[in-house]
Amino acid sequence: MKRLFLIAMLLACGTVFATAFLALDRSSARMLTDAKAHTRPTIVALWSTDCPHCKKNLELFADMVKADAGLRLITVAAEPLSAEVATSLDRVKVPGKRYVYGADSPEAIAFALDPKWRGELPRTLFFDGRGNRIAVSGVVGIASTRQSLGLSDPR
Amino acid sequence: MTSLHRLGAIAMLAIAASMLPHFATAAEPKDKATMAGMSAMGKKARVDLGSSAAFARDGQLLAVAKQGDHLLLYRSRDQGANWSPPTIVNARPEAIAGDGENRPKIAFAQDGGVLVSWTRPLAKPNTGEVRLARSDDGGASFATPITVHRDRQEITHRFETMVIGVDGRIYLAWIDKRDLESARAAKTPYRGAAIYAAVSDDGGRSFKPETRVADHSCECCRIAAAVDTDGAPLILWRHVFEPNERDHALAKLKPDGAPAGVERATFDRWKVDGCPHHGPALAVAPDGTRHAVWFNQKNGEGRAFYGRLANGGIEGQRFVGGEQAARADIAVAGRRIGILWKEFDGERTQLHAEISEDGGASFKRLTLGAANGASDHPRAITFGKDLFAYWRTELEGMRVFRLP
Repeated sequence: MKRLFLIAMLLACGTVFATAFLALDRSSARMLTDAKAHTRPTIVALWSTDCPHCKKNLELFADMVKADAGLRLITVAAEPLSAEVATSLDRVKVPGKRYVYGADSPEAIAFALDPKWRGELPRTLFFDGRGNRIAVSGVVGIASTRQSLGLSDPR
Repeated sequence: MTSLHRLGAIAMLAIAASMLPHFATAAEPKDKATMAGMSAMGKKARVDLGSSAAFARDGQLLAVAKQGDHLLLYRSRDQGANWSPPTIVNARPEAIAGDGENRPKIAFAQDGGVLVSWTRPLAKPNTGEVRLARSDDGGASFATPITVHRDRQEITHRFETMVIGVDGRIYLAWIDKRDLESARAAKTPYRGAAIYAAVSDDGGRSFKPETRVADHSCECCRIAAAVDTDGAPLILWRHVFEPNERDHALAKLKPDGAPAGVERATFDRWKVDGCPHHGPALAVAPDGTRHAVWFNQKNGEGRAFYGRLANGGIEGQRFVGGEQAARADIAVAGRRIGILWKEFDGERTQLHAEISEDGGASFKRLTLGAANGASDHPRAITFGKDLFAYWRTELEGMRVFRLP
């Protein structure tokens, strides 16, 4: 992707690392969450570093994606990029494209991602790859996640 | 795709620019306060807009907002039309929480002292200390800030609220995770966090040991506070009722900070294992009516609500604003009630108000302004019989609207 940026960040402790993050504005947020644009089962997981519950979802989604190559995970940190955003994802080895909030108004980005979302986290958008989208607030389980993605029961 | 590409490039530049101070300070001495400040600087690239304002007895409007590792105090003699150059609250730099739910607060002690409280984030994520600084010269200079609690573990003591009782005592209440951490260590389950409070009877110069107000608060919503008609403080916070209902609880605090009783205040039964990050507001009318605004998901829909908390139930619960209404605040001045909220209209964030002249029997609605960029939560404040909206926005600055 052209809009993939390599951003090197210097941690306060002096460690240097590089992680790819995409900065969202309202138009890229709208494109990202357009159900027609997703042609395979996709999870768009909205999370933040100050949300302890988010970690549970990220761990579950990371495990599910690793077990199923047909499933795609995209994470969106509802905050600007920071070292903590990167380390939080790295700590639980969350795969997939990583987005953060860019310089656009946070309310505009949030509205573009999901007009029904009121900022509570975790918030997850499930795309079945056939044009349908389901949004769920809070911690979810594997069965409801598979159902929301239009997948058959766990084998 | 080229315009999108350009947008992305701008976003990348903005991120890179915002990280420059991070690079610039990385070679500073490994002083503890400096390190804490650096980690906070790294955490939020965007300007933290969280701010509070209050009128002093002489009618001056004082506002606090953070800039980097300093809290700045601004003063206006014309109800927010013009602001003085700021004075610094904390001479020594330290990390400061400055988001809308966890903003710095300002209040006045009965002896005229200016009190500023804030949460100081510590190095570990989601940890912090509750800090307070006092000025004896109207805000021109501040004494060295103190940490109000005795517990100094590197855990959550955050989202403080400050309220002054009619007896002059200063009450601070905050979200505290010491009981959660103890439960974790003992491998026993514990719902949410806890509310703790500490009381000062010397005008905020020192605090008595803190006391637990309630177990099982929600983890990251602001706490609302108001003074009841008997002069005692009331606090209202998002609670986690069994098993995971994120409704609100109300407590009156005794002079030692202990609760005189904790009752359930809202009954929307939002069952969610998640962080609403959207706290309530409370105002008590002279006749004792407890007017509240809050956010909850009810019947699958997240909405802002108004209602009067009464006898273990709610009277007159209704929506505030439309589907996008958020961050409501409320203030009372005699029979007048002002409700404020933000509402994103698809392009901009609008600031709306409802005003009642008859103690809440009827309200009229009006729009106060709009913001193109990011914005803090609006704050409803009073001076005498007048109601005001104080709103700090990214592009326009500190704005004050007198409610007609």
